Amino acid sequence: MKLSLISAFGMSNFTMFIKPPLFRNLHQSVCSSVKSPPPPLAYIKPRMPLFLRPSTHMVAMLDLCKWYEWAKSLASSVGTTFEDVDNGPDSSLLRRELKWLVDDVTEDRAVSLLMHSEKCDRNVGIRVSLDELYKLWKERIEERRPFQYIVGCEHWRDLVLCVQEGVLIPRPETEQIVDLVADVVSDNEGLREGLWVDLGTGSGAIAIGVGMMLESLGRAIATDLSPLALSVAAFNVQRYGLQDVVELRQGSWFEPLKDLEGKVAGIVSNPPYIPSDNISGLQAEVGRHEPRIALDGGVNGMDDLLRLCKGAGSMLKSGGFFAFETNGEQQCKHLVEYMETDAGDCFCNVNIVPDFAGIQRFVTGFRK
Amino acid sequence: MRRHLWCNLKRLQCVPTITNVLTQGISVAPPSAAATPTSSLLIIRSYSSIGELQPQLSPEIIRIMEQRLTAIEYRTAFLQNLVNQPEASPAEYARANKELRKLKSSADLISELRSKQKEINGLKSLRVDCSEDKDMVSMATEELGEAMVEEKRLQNLLLKSLLPKDDADERDCILEVRAGTGGEEASLFAMDIFKMYEKYSQKKGWKFEVVDLTESDLRGYKEASAAISGADVYGKLKFEKGIHRVQRIPVTEKAGRIHTSAVSVAILPQADEVDVQLRNEDLKIDTYRSGGAGGQHANTTNSAVRITHIPSGMVVAIQDERSQHMNKAKALKVLRAKLYEMERSRIHSKRSKLRSEQIGSGDRSERVRTYNFPQGRITDHRVGITCHAIDDVMQGESLDVFLDALLLQQEMDAIACFSSSQ
Repeated sequence: MKLSLISAFGMSNFTMFIKPPLFRNLHQSVCSSVKSPPPPLAYIKPRMPLFLRPSTHMVAMLDLCKWYEWAKSLASSVGTTFEDVDNGPDSSLLRRELKWLVDDVTEDRAVSLLMHSEKCDRNVGIRVSLDELYKLWKERIEERRPFQYIVGCEHWRDLVLCVQEGVLIPRPETEQIVDLVADVVSDNEGLREGLWVDLGTGSGAIAIGVGMMLESLGRAIATDLSPLALSVAAFNVQRYGLQDVVELRQGSWFEPLKDLEGKVAGIVSNPPYIPSDNISGLQAEVGRHEPRIALDGGVNGMDDLLRLCKGAGSMLKSGGFFAFETNGEQQCKHLVEYMETDAGDCFCNVNIVPDFAGIQRFVTGFRK
Repeated sequence: MRRHLWCNLKRLQCVPTITNVLTQGISVAPPSAAATPTSSLLIIRSYSSIGELQPQLSPEIIRIMEQRLTAIEYRTAFLQNLVNQPEASPAEYARANKELRKLKSSADLISELRSKQKEINGLKSLRVDCSEDKDMVSMATEELGEAMVEEKRLQNLLLKSLLPKDDADERDCILEVRAGTGGEEASLFAMDIFKMYEKYSQKKGWKFEVVDLTESDLRGYKEASAAISGADVYGKLKFEKGIHRVQRIPVTEKAGRIHTSAVSVAILPQADEVDVQLRNEDLKIDTYRSGGAGGQHANTTNSAVRITHIPSGMVVAIQDERSQHMNKAKALKVLRAKLYEMERSRIHSKRSKLRSEQIGSGDRSERVRTYNFPQGRITDHRVGITCHAIDDVMQGESLDVFLDALLLQQEMDAIACFSSSQ
């Protein structure tokens, strides 16, 4: 299988973490025949998150403190302006993000502690240049560039996932999908040792969360249309040592999974579900910076959700489970109605599960 | 270092009563009401680097102990008999085995003690029977001496095992520091105290993890909490519970006057899922979002979680972790610790009045220590000890001066209970 290397972003040197064999189709045992070799994958080197970079930039403590004070006052000058415009972050949230930026950029707690004391008379090694630090924080405030893209990572569940422009930043709500899967496999061996599929995986978040929980008794396949997202997902899978548990396939929804019809234990997804017209009114961090294809769900936001519901029947084995994240109550109700009536009587126990903010967020159910 | 030795020297002065030992602090503070053991108990102990003295147990204590030991011997024999009978039901068998396991370590020590006592008797009669043989007598005397030292050691170990123990001593703990009266200055002192515990934890090799921080305007701490993990953390820090009072010239004070403010410290033992079972139905978890659709619509770094335990009404909110999952995990940890403490207090308040005479009886508003910066001294009101190395203590260095004394007092109180409960 050929791989073409596209170095899309100028990067500082770092060793390649992704080995080509990761993209090889591992499921020889599951599929009876492979119809045609998969198309060559474009491999894009993911950008290294700040916290993983070596702290080789030497700066004077005094200069670092000066930057910190500048960044803090810039954050404080925002007040509630972002919040008023589009429900964006306020100054106290921005100041906390700044603390986290310092955590990611400095070698250990000692440096960030020192910064708060008066001892500013030595040189320290940090992970980006001072110029870069100024640039990054300016981007945060002036361009509303998401904090997660600035530090190159997102803390999600008990993981730290690499993210960058072109990949959706995993949401806190989506953490719950892994809990829903945990509940379902806790007393169900058939599902626990089965094959799980995360459609539209983005950074690989759900697949990795589920993969860690299955503890190599089960397997997971993560799919995405975007080669960039898959490269980032591969990096994340590798970091958590799950190369033998999580396989990545490129393609649109169920297309790369034709060989698995009727064999899948569980389907999970956080598909794009925002109605197209709403995209322009979104919070700037989302609307201006996150990939539209991960957000736009068509006219009423339900295009992809319905596609998933239509395909789930033939993909899932008997007793298989599904969980999809949605926009809220309306979408949930539509899906439940669809699953219970139009989907040809193949589902049972279709439920709506709320998230912690009280919004009806997930639809779950079982294949009969 | 010199001061540390001085504190210990004072304690070492061999005085017949415990009350005196405890009031031989450096200050002139009157003995606290908690220290009232009977004067018939003779115990001399040392914790210092000067040397280990083998504690001397009074005949009264030994007599009481013998009663208890005999009772344990009978009980063990009875249970052993029960377990060996084939007609015993599975429930009886399990119960008996469980109790046997609990008694095992004491039972083993007792048989060691009995065999040592037999040896002593044997040597004593040997001395009498062979009184003409000088060599035999001297050999027997030497061995008798060794045997009696060993007997004392076993008796001490057994005494310790018979004293009431707090199961929670081995656990990790949650530290909560709250600024009390005194406004901004109290917040600044709350921060100083919090950092003192952080440094002390580091010196002890414990893990100190900040759970929550509420900063005041001048960057002091209105409230701060941390999870401290390591060996026997709760047992060591539990004496810190109460009000810590500070007297100093505040940073903000222009006229150089001394102000008094207060900080309250709470120490909760950490509880795990076995101690406190939380049912999902009893928990209400919410994020305090200000409306909005959430999900893909929003990019937020605010994943604060608030958990309400419905049956008790206890609410815990955590916001400073970087993921919702971690905020939730921390909130559950704190919730368990608080519910555990609530349950423990409930049980303890049902017990006899003896409990209230002990240190750290759980009264959060008990004033435990005063830190006087202009005079450079810290006084602990429970043991009446004053330390003059205030900077060392605030750097986490000499806190052991107080903690060792408090531990000593606790043991003595326990021994007092032990004998008075006969």
